[in-house]
Amino acid sequence: MILDSSLVWLHDTSFGTVIRESTWAEPIIETIHVLTLTVFLGFVIVLDLRLLDLILLRARVSAIFRQLNPWLFGSFAIMLVTGISLFAGDPVLFYGTIFFKLKMLMLLAAALNVVVFNLTLGRSLMQWDARATTPRGAKITGLLSLLLWISVVACGRGIAYVLPPP
Amino acid sequence: MSALAAWTLAFCRWCNGSYFGHVIRDSAWLFPFVEVFHLLALGLLGGTLVLVNLSLLGIRFGSASTAELARELRPWMFGSIGVMLLSGFLLFSTEAVKMYGNWAFQLKMTLLLLALLFTLTLHRKVIDAQRTSAGVRAATALISLLLWLGVGLGGRALGYVTTAASTLTGQ
Repeated sequence: MILDSSLVWLHDTSFGTVIRESTWAEPIIETIHVLTLTVFLGFVIVLDLRLLDLILLRARVSAIFRQLNPWLFGSFAIMLVTGISLFAGDPVLFYGTIFFKLKMLMLLAAALNVVVFNLTLGRSLMQWDARATTPRGAKITGLLSLLLWISVVACGRGIAYVLPPP
Repeated sequence: MSALAAWTLAFCRWCNGSYFGHVIRDSAWLFPFVEVFHLLALGLLGGTLVLVNLSLLGIRFGSASTAELARELRPWMFGSIGVMLLSGFLLFSTEAVKMYGNWAFQLKMTLLLLALLFTLTLHRKVIDAQRTSAGVRAATALISLLLWLGVGLGGRALGYVTTAASTLTGQ
């Protein structure tokens, strides 16, 4: 199958080999991956709580987007690069776990959630931005996002737990 | 052995033998379950702390002053510290005696104590002060970020030191 052969290909690239065989690559990359959570996950939670009208009520949603977006994109890029690097260390092993597949599914769903929001309520943001409460759709987006990211973290922990220690 | 060390070891033994230690150790999924809460609280603590410290560094959040921002974020910040302490204690109680001799754990706890003290005293004072120089604010933010980063790095090292030790003893 093409998927299997590409997993093996990634495993055998010099990049994958370095990560697998170096003593320090994996712990360093994993540390960056986990500690970047403090910015990425932290700001996602703050944003979601704002959509749920639970935090920073005096700031407008648009102001919070403006403030957090560069940090969210920057930290997500770091999560992505470090995550793919860790995956490259042993793609066959990772892909073999149910938690990895679940995590990717949840990531996809979280991305879809953002796209749907941007195409609908995101477009009319300026109309409800100044209102005292966020519309119901925004609250649903926030709640969904929270639940999905919690699942992503839980699946991530799950992967570490079912994989044998290096 | 000093009195403090003896007392600490006795405390670790007590944790190890406590109800929580037993229950979590004996369950296949409770440990990772508690770990997920530890990580989620880490995210929220990091997020709120970074926002407040950015504000101290001059990267303001909208039109809110640092004191106003901190007032809004504080319940979430202290709430997540509470969840971290509680979940951390539960994780610790499953292997408390092993942790006692783990240098990464000792480092993490020392930094945690410093970070908590700093957050509750000087950090708070500078945030709420009406007039402070930009230098003092920036220094306060950097010390706060570095202390908490140290706690995080200690936590990461902890996992690797434990793994290394258990590999050596073949457990």
